[in-house]
Amino acid sequence: MDKQQEFVLRTLEEREIRFVRLWFTDVLGYLKSVAVAPAELEGAFDEGIGFDGSAIEGFARVYESDMLAKPDPSSFQILPWRSESPGTARMFCDILMPDGTPSYADPRQVLKRTLAKAAERGFAFYTHPEIEFFLFSGAPTQGQPPVPVDQGGYFDHIAHGTGHDFRREAITMLESMGISVEFSHHEGAPGQQEIDLRYADALSTADNIMTFRHVMKQVALSQGVYASFMPKPLTDHPGSGMHTHLSLFEGERNAFYEAGAKYQLSKVARSFIAGLLNHAGEITAVTNQWVNSYKRLSGGGEAPAYVSWGHNNRSALVRVPMYKPAKGQSTRVELRSPDSACNPYLAFAVILAAGLKGIEEGYDLPDGAEDDVWSLTDGERQAMGLAPLPASLSEAIRAMESSELVAETLGEHVFDFFLRNKRAEWADYRRQVTAFELDRYLSVL
Amino acid sequence: MTLGAGRAASARLARAGFTEPERAAAALDTPLLAPLMADDEVMGALAATADPDDALQGLRRVIAAEQTPEGLVAALREDHLLRDGLFAVLGASPALAEHLVRYPGRWRLLAAGAGVRPTAHGLRQTVLRAVGADPAGAAPVAAGAVPAAVDALRVAYRDALLGLAARDVGGALEVADVAAELADLAAATLEGALAIARAEVGEAAAGCRLAVVAMGKCGGRELNYMSDVDVVFVAEPAVHPDGSLAEEGAALRTATAMAVALMRACAVTTAAGTIWPVDAALRPEGKAGPLVRTLASHVAYYERWAKTWEFQALLKARPVAGDMDLGLAYVAAVGPMVWRAAERPDFVTDVQEMRRRVEQSLPAAESRRELKLGPGGLRDVEFAVQLLQLVHGRTDDKVRSQNTLEALEALSTYGYVGRADAAELDRAYRFLRSVEHRLQLYRLRRTHVMPDDPVELRRLGRSLGMRKAPVEELETEWRRHAREVRRLHEKLFYRPLLSSVARLASEEARLTPDAARSRLVALGYEDPVGALRHLEALTEGVSRRAAIQRTLLPVLLGWFADAPDPDGGLLAFRRLSDALGTTPWYLRLLRDEGAVAQRLAVLLASSRYAVDLLARAPEAVRLLADDEDLVPRSRSHLAGELSTSLSRHEDAESAVALARAVRRRELFRVATSDLLGVASVEQVEEALTDVAAATIEAALDVATRAVETTRGSALPTRLAIVAMGRFGGHELGYASDADVLFVHDPLPGADDRDASDAAHAVVGELRRLLAVPSPDPPLVVDANLRPEGRQGPLVRTIASYAAYYERWSHAWESQALLRAEPVAGDIELGKQFVELVDPLRYPAAGLDEADVREIRRIKARVEAERLPRGADPALHTKLGPGGLADVEWTVQLLQLRHGAGVPGLRTTRTLLALGAAAEAGLLEAAQADVLAHAWRTASRVRNAVLLVSGRPGDSVPTDLREMSGVARVLGYPPGAAGVMVEDYRRATRRGRAVVDGVFYR
Repeated sequence: MDKQQEFVLRTLEEREIRFVRLWFTDVLGYLKSVAVAPAELEGAFDEGIGFDGSAIEGFARVYESDMLAKPDPSSFQILPWRSESPGTARMFCDILMPDGTPSYADPRQVLKRTLAKAAERGFAFYTHPEIEFFLFSGAPTQGQPPVPVDQGGYFDHIAHGTGHDFRREAITMLESMGISVEFSHHEGAPGQQEIDLRYADALSTADNIMTFRHVMKQVALSQGVYASFMPKPLTDHPGSGMHTHLSLFEGERNAFYEAGAKYQLSKVARSFIAGLLNHAGEITAVTNQWVNSYKRLSGGGEAPAYVSWGHNNRSALVRVPMYKPAKGQSTRVELRSPDSACNPYLAFAVILAAGLKGIEEGYDLPDGAEDDVWSLTDGERQAMGLAPLPASLSEAIRAMESSELVAETLGEHVFDFFLRNKRAEWADYRRQVTAFELDRYLSVL
Repeated sequence: MTLGAGRAASARLARAGFTEPERAAAALDTPLLAPLMADDEVMGALAATADPDDALQGLRRVIAAEQTPEGLVAALREDHLLRDGLFAVLGASPALAEHLVRYPGRWRLLAAGAGVRPTAHGLRQTVLRAVGADPAGAAPVAAGAVPAAVDALRVAYRDALLGLAARDVGGALEVADVAAELADLAAATLEGALAIARAEVGEAAAGCRLAVVAMGKCGGRELNYMSDVDVVFVAEPAVHPDGSLAEEGAALRTATAMAVALMRACAVTTAAGTIWPVDAALRPEGKAGPLVRTLASHVAYYERWAKTWEFQALLKARPVAGDMDLGLAYVAAVGPMVWRAAERPDFVTDVQEMRRRVEQSLPAAESRRELKLGPGGLRDVEFAVQLLQLVHGRTDDKVRSQNTLEALEALSTYGYVGRADAAELDRAYRFLRSVEHRLQLYRLRRTHVMPDDPVELRRLGRSLGMRKAPVEELETEWRRHAREVRRLHEKLFYRPLLSSVARLASEEARLTPDAARSRLVALGYEDPVGALRHLEALTEGVSRRAAIQRTLLPVLLGWFADAPDPDGGLLAFRRLSDALGTTPWYLRLLRDEGAVAQRLAVLLASSRYAVDLLARAPEAVRLLADDEDLVPRSRSHLAGELSTSLSRHEDAESAVALARAVRRRELFRVATSDLLGVASVEQVEEALTDVAAATIEAALDVATRAVETTRGSALPTRLAIVAMGRFGGHELGYASDADVLFVHDPLPGADDRDASDAAHAVVGELRRLLAVPSPDPPLVVDANLRPEGRQGPLVRTIASYAAYYERWSHAWESQALLRAEPVAGDIELGKQFVELVDPLRYPAAGLDEADVREIRRIKARVEAERLPRGADPALHTKLGPGGLADVEWTVQLLQLRHGAGVPGLRTTRTLLALGAAAEAGLLEAAQADVLAHAWRTASRVRNAVLLVSGRPGDSVPTDLREMSGVARVLGYPPGAAGVMVEDYRRATRRGRAVVDGVFYR
């Protein structure tokens, strides 16, 4: 029993915690939870808690016997919802095989493995996500379009607006769980919110995103509204992206920064961006994993549909934010394709892998795009060599299928499961007769 | 001196043991030395040194360096303690001789009365005074210029070393005492270096408390003459007089500067030489971590991140310099964690790994002369003792000593190690350490390599008191002790386990059952209670068998522990022993042929299949004795053996039973060579095919003879058996059916009906004989690939085959015929059959589009339909994507289309055809490599599944135990089952991508 574990056990007693939720994430990015009583926790620290993996998406079939969820005591947090009484706490878990070796099906492990690869080359990977989501009135009803809680726009401050109260309470709650919020505001669409998490190492950030989504849903519930991370819930309004700022550090030094270079971007940064661009198509199925993700991605506006980069160009896939003098440590690049409904562990893993590949192979960075990519004609884009990102889940699957990079990164098990699951999703989607078809054809055909 | 006198002097010197008497005589021929030479006592002392020549040359130089040498010369004649001490040093260490030359007058340190063993405290005072610091101060600071202090430190260190060496080589000290004093001297030196560091940092030094904690040999008070001194630095902000704390960041920066200065003061080479490097790499995070940490930071690290081996290192932590309160607080805080290391979840795996590291350290040839790291070297002992301390120190604080020899003694006293074994190891360790000491003392160099120059060996041997034949004696002693140490794991880890179950008549303390269980668990046994029960059964009683097994088991237990299933191995050994224990050769084989026992242990603890084969015929153990016997027998060899022995059997059933027994023995041979990694997958499958072919051929002979006997006449027809499928391709697995076609051709003038009846009778008899129930593994002869399948006649005439193929043949039949190869029966007829089918399987015009489409369609269907319900396609070796069928169909389609034009494609073997296809440019070489790799991977996994579980299985196992066993058989290290599955998936995924590109389009 180490000090961390002792601390957890002591806190449980002092704070009269009756249940501890052990959290982990399935391959599709759904948060899973096993509740245990404090008495069982001591054993869980030593050996993990056995559970039936076959019930969890993507975990089945690695082996027949039970899997183990082993709580990470450093992630211990008391859950701050007021409704929960007596108190509840949570810890993130690593998923282990029965012999104690890490499971290949655990997304957290996928990211850890990739981070370890980066660490071998001396890099630590930091991310900072801007998470967008919608607040709707009431729970979703089948067949009914959702109703946003307000009609505000970008940065609108709506007096007594639900969104405002919501953000205040949500942020308080996040901070009380040790998740620092950088920034929050009303986003462009009605009911749409954006909350930016402070930059942190990618594993913590991924854990934080999982917590974040859960907290948002809880707070919304307590206020009688519904929070959704669906990438594109409203046809006529922008979808919810998760623009993610990325940087690599070598020890204390930002490896992306080079004083005096163009945009202060080091060779490492340029190759990293080139890696992102080069492999953008292959990793899209992971960063944008749902049928609905492509409604956002191909829907214009600020969503990037073409593989390009630019300095402070909001239509580019990779944007290099304006450099702030004397802030060399904050040099970073922003990847704008991921959406808020991705599995953050897998998404960060493939993003990092793509960037590292660029560094390893010393990819050259093509010229940046200065125009609004959307306003160009198809011919212009072709002439400029701007390849489109996959326009549908089906195209994304096809691009991923032949990717050694993604297979290596996710591991063969997750790679195989993910593709099978996504193919099935696409097949299900294709056989639907949509509202669009009924509206357009039924009355005239 | 006259010439004659010179010659006499030389002769006298030669007799005294000088190797260069003329040179010695010349050296002695000075007014000062000549009188000394006349003194028999002086000469005797000189001659008694390790190297009289060196000693004499040294003496000459020391005297020459003196301003008034008369004093020394006189003292040498009077003070025999000085004489013995000085000569001993001069004869054993030119490095210290150099010190004496350089600093005249230092010989007085060896004079009578000066040779008292100093205390640690005394050494500290001496060294501190030497650098001008006040030993009584709480934080002594060196006085004067730093470079001068650094030089003074070196001189003080060498002075102390000089006194120690004189007592050591003079024989006044036990090796353990030498090591302890060296550690005390190191501690004093670190204190002196710290005083210099304080002077260097200046006033800021008061802002922090810095403790130097020794680890490794210095921590264990068992240091060498020359080695890195391992330390860890702990610092805290100082407490101001007003009770407030200094600022932590600044304090740590100061402490770091002091630590750096301390290390430099010890390691830097100045005009006065160097001392030794201070190594701080055992600190948290190793070289990447901060040099100095606070106590809390150390503790936090060990609580969260440390690995098992780091706790092993902590075992020796001992504060030696600087702030002692802080040092003690550090030891008090991290010490208990050491003993909790054994509770860590990965402890068992880590221990296994560390154990392997000990065993596999330095395999290279030069390692044979390594005293420390070589097999049977010092580190073996140290590591093993520490591991036992970690396992048992958790519950028993009596074995927690920091010192190797003390720990060994405690382990023996309290029953964790046999007393005699411990005593023997103690002797070996002391011997090896003495050799190491003398070796290093010579030049004060950090060396652990036993010299091979006879001159050096002679000196080394003499310094250890070997006088008659120092070189030979030294080599023999060394080999003997190293041999004892090499059998260390048996002695330390396993033999005591027996004492916990065996009722041995001895007063020795026994390992308690509890301790035995925790040790078995640490060694990788999952069911320690069961294991102890087997041990008890195997060792009880006074029989010869029990006695031999008591000697064997400690070794076997170690080998089982290294294999995937130690518990299964022990159980299987017990069964085997029950079956064979009374057979005289069995125990002799195990006892006398080291390789047999080890191989047996590997088989028993890895493979159910091998265990099952052995259970039926334990005498096959004999095969393990000889490397020759592990090479699979060729087809012709088997055929020869079978035909001679079968001719002795009249009765068909017993004849075939004999053939099947031979097959069983051969299966064991192949399995063994597979498990021991002697044979590649191609060789294994070739051998399995040969065994099946020879068995079927023998059965055909027996069946023919039986039918002829019944008929009373020779067969009216020629009969041949054609191998098909994997059998035809020489790719059989352990449990594969043998696919065949039967063909006959009536002799000229024979009645067709009679010929057909006779052929059917033979084939029927053959199948019956091979299927007679028996404990031997069945060989299923499957003729379902024949024309019309099960509806068709079992045997056809060659003419009937010709007619059938002319009229009815389908593309899939041509494909099946790609694997057709005559395997037994009439050779001529076999050839005719091949000639008949060649145009079908290698059609001159290739395949038309319809046929190609048909084959692809069938393949796609097979993929979808044949897969057993619930099986994960990705893990199915046969039908899964990138599995055996994928690769084989791809190759076969190329064969059908291009076989007529590309001669290399006309083979029944998948890999050969694949190579030929690549060579002919039908697919890229890289694609062929991917397919070959996928095919081999799938074949190996399929074979390994059978070897491990004893049951045929087409899927990569999902049961973790089985999965781990398969991974180990495939050569993966322990704990890499997941990696194996990932590798399998990767190989087959890439294979499938090629299949998609080559087969389907």
